[in-house]
Amino acid sequence: MSGGVVTGGWNFVIAAYTVTFSVLFIYGVSIVTRLREERSREKEEANPQ
Amino acid sequence: MKTGPAAILLAIGAYFGFVVAVAQFHGVSALALGLPSGAIATLAAGCGVAGAIWFLFANDQADSSAPWQVMAGLGVLCLAFGSYYGLFVAPPEQYMGEVQRIMYVHVPTAWNALLAMTLAFACAVIFLFKPDYKWDSRMEGAIEVGVVLAFLLCCQGAIWAKPTWGVWWDWDPRLTTTAVLLFAFLGILALRRFVEDPARRAIWSSVATIIAYVDVPIVYFSVRWWNSLHQQQSNPGTVSKQFWLPLRLNAFGILFLMVAFIMIRAQLATLRRKQEMAPPLPEVAELGEAV
Repeated sequence: MSGGVVTGGWNFVIAAYTVTFSVLFIYGVSIVTRLREERSREKEEANPQ
Repeated sequence: MKTGPAAILLAIGAYFGFVVAVAQFHGVSALALGLPSGAIATLAAGCGVAGAIWFLFANDQADSSAPWQVMAGLGVLCLAFGSYYGLFVAPPEQYMGEVQRIMYVHVPTAWNALLAMTLAFACAVIFLFKPDYKWDSRMEGAIEVGVVLAFLLCCQGAIWAKPTWGVWWDWDPRLTTTAVLLFAFLGILALRRFVEDPARRAIWSSVATIIAYVDVPIVYFSVRWWNSLHQQQSNPGTVSKQFWLPLRLNAFGILFLMVAFIMIRAQLATLRRKQEMAPPLPEVAELGEAV
């Protein structure tokens, strides 16, 4: 901070964007995986071998 | 429900949100149809949100993956363009400098977290009046996505707070009420895990969602009601035109991703409930006796 103005700070910007994209990506992949597992289980139960 | 009205609403939202914003930035005001900037922003947000929610309710019970893939694709596209513009094209803010670029992800996350919880509240109310399990699935999806966005909001806020306030966290009214909101909705997800009977689970979690939702307006108005370190809400009149485009692109991007996530999560909840309610398979011994 210099004279009431924040100087620098790119590291914080990069951290915020990295956290945002990581959380959205990980959550998205996790629910798609869970949905696929649940669908394949439903199919297996509908057509037991 | 058909998807056509959703597409029309989204097109109106995109027109007022992006086309008019870009035209005004370049000094062309004819496309704004003589509307003030506040009305344009309200139209963009209102039509965008209404279109996305219409699309959600029209497609979330479908077996196909195409609807959520369309929404997720649109979301990634908007978020990619918005983040590129916010990071590399938009100028730094006068006082907060480069750190202000965090606003382009923090503010849209806040809007959509509150929107997801509002959606959960609406689904809870509808379920209590019209007990159809699809509303319970939608509520579960909206709560979980709202919790993820609220958690993300707190992380982004802490990263922004350190260089501007000098601390990662402060028990300021806005931050405290947001933390209460996150844990209240997390508690509802925990409640749903503990209750095995689908009917009781749906009713109890609907009531709990309605009670927890009381905190949402408190979060929104906390910066006006109490002295807060957190700044008050901005509007198109107080934000430079150069900041509009990345903010709106990311707001639409996170909105579309939120809708895609809720669709997936609602389908998952429906599949799990079907399995819970399915009659148990006969034991091998019983099959033998029958033969």
